[in-house]
Amino acid sequence: MNKDLLSGAVLLAVAGTYYTWSTQIADSTLSDEIGADGLPKMLAIILGILAVCLIGRALLAMGLRPATAPAANAEEEEDDNAPMPRALGFLAFGAAYVLLLPFVGYIIATALLIGAIAIYEGAPRRSWIVPVAAIGGGLFYWAIFVKLIGVNQPIGSIFQGLF
Amino acid sequence: MTTFWDIFHLLTETPIFFVAIIGLTWGIMGGALPGISASITMALVLPFTYAMDPAQAIALLACVYIGAEYGGSIPAILIRTPGTNSSAATVIDGYEMNRQGRAGEALGISLMSGVVGSLFGLAMLILLTEPLSWLALAFTPASYFGLGILGLSVIASMSGGSLIKGLCAATVGLMISTVGTDPISGVTRFTFDVPDLIGGIEPVLVMVGLFALTELMSQSGSGSMAQLNASIRIKLPSWSMMNKLKRSQFIGCILGLFEGLTPGGGGSIAAFMSYNEARRWSKNPQLFGKGSEEGVAAPEAANNTVASTAMIPLLSFGIPSSNSTAVLLGGLLMHGLIPGPRLFEQSAQVIDSIYVGSFIAIIAQIGVGILILPACIWLVNRPRHYRAGFIFALILSGIYTLNNSLLDLGIALGLGVVGFLMRLARFPVLPMILGVVLGHMVESSYRRSLVLSGGDMRVFLEDPIAVALLSLALIFIVFSLAREIRDARKAKLKEIHS
Repeated sequence: MNKDLLSGAVLLAVAGTYYTWSTQIADSTLSDEIGADGLPKMLAIILGILAVCLIGRALLAMGLRPATAPAANAEEEEDDNAPMPRALGFLAFGAAYVLLLPFVGYIIATALLIGAIAIYEGAPRRSWIVPVAAIGGGLFYWAIFVKLIGVNQPIGSIFQGLF
Repeated sequence: MTTFWDIFHLLTETPIFFVAIIGLTWGIMGGALPGISASITMALVLPFTYAMDPAQAIALLACVYIGAEYGGSIPAILIRTPGTNSSAATVIDGYEMNRQGRAGEALGISLMSGVVGSLFGLAMLILLTEPLSWLALAFTPASYFGLGILGLSVIASMSGGSLIKGLCAATVGLMISTVGTDPISGVTRFTFDVPDLIGGIEPVLVMVGLFALTELMSQSGSGSMAQLNASIRIKLPSWSMMNKLKRSQFIGCILGLFEGLTPGGGGSIAAFMSYNEARRWSKNPQLFGKGSEEGVAAPEAANNTVASTAMIPLLSFGIPSSNSTAVLLGGLLMHGLIPGPRLFEQSAQVIDSIYVGSFIAIIAQIGVGILILPACIWLVNRPRHYRAGFIFALILSGIYTLNNSLLDLGIALGLGVVGFLMRLARFPVLPMILGVVLGHMVESSYRRSLVLSGGDMRVFLEDPIAVALLSLALIFIVFSLAREIRDARKAKLKEIHS
């Protein structure tokens, strides 16, 4: 499916959802003429119009292009980004980090993140460097953030009684 | 008014010196990493500045920007891969010099031309910013609305060939800015009963998500880069060489000043324009592309000038003209600093710190640039899989530092996905960031104007500054639209002919 057509459809859905949420904004006696929901509703309508324009432009381009012809700009179809599943997989490690952080604490969560990303990105699984880099990285960042900058990074609920 | 003694006091104060050196070092190393642009390097360090003194925090960001502009030229010269977009023009002759065994000389010319450009840019920043900012004293809420719209009009030139996509991205950015407490009535919007959202979504989360996380996701699984030669050392140019390069450096400085002041200008346009102009005015134009020293000096002087001059519209009016200055604006807002004359009056120390920190960073660039080169080469040569893990952990740790909130981490990761999808669908991200950064100002000034005028829309036409700014925004948009239509026609004609 054409990327612009798909983007337009997604943006139209975003505009619709945002407009629905805007109608649920509470009224206030302190409010001005426009109200707290004024700009959100206007933005939803603008995005809706732009999305329709994007869809219209995509359909027009598809209609004008001969069926046998390649994409209007072959270069445009190529990109140097990672495939979507791979990129989303990368981010899934971040999501796992967020879930693990309160339980296992900063050092272990960070070490696991560094090790997991290294393996995901192609480091040899059995190499001794992976655990050393992971543990070293966890300790290094702990020293910087907790000891040097003084940020209260989570200790981890499983260690709560120990410290 | 800043006195000589204020500057002297700041110069002799230890923290600003260290802040400048740390910012410069981080900037050079970040800029040297291919794929990590100046704005990403700044966005990475932004969360750390949260707990810092505002003056030191902003000086640190400014020094990171200066360092990253030089750092980008290291891989450009050594492995034909620009570390930042603005060092792309340096590749042409810099890499050619490297192939001829003159890598050290090219790095030295790049370093010294960067110093010349940065010093010129800093002088312009000091001379022009404060007088311009006084204009803002006459600003009414209607004028601020006009200013916000002018800032948003940058979108027209930042839309990467599709104004509709740029406008869509900006609208979504404005939508994000509406999350939190309404500026007039105090009603909460889109918070879904989550207390952490009452204060809104911080621009820094959007920047880190859209710039840094998106970049990491896009590079996932990509092959390893070419390795740098660890034995290379910088060779600073002689006086006679500097004399030979003065014409191209002058061209770079002037075009850098012009592009820095222009919304949407940026270092890469300045670098390519100055490369072309340097070739046009050179006594040896035939050497360009074959390892010309002038071909390295002009773009490096230009992109380093932009690093300072792009701060002029930012500090005077709050208009970020590039990704990097948008991050800097995020830093200012994070510390409750509003650009304009009041910043000069009420937070003069912040301005002084930017000037003094930048000056220290520019001068220290010569020594740090030479000393840090082996470390940069070591860093660039690290296996990509370990580097990705360390950068990802650094980003997540930095975000948590902001508010000790897991929700912030979730928001940034979510915005990373949004940024990646935008990249796949070829939507520009800067308009979205501008929407987030300028959204509050546009909405609050628009509504305040109408409250003061009793709902009369003519308030925007009766204020001369608002009229001038809105007209400028309109002109800017119309010109960009006309250019887009012209480019589309050209492309169509080309397609028909082929």
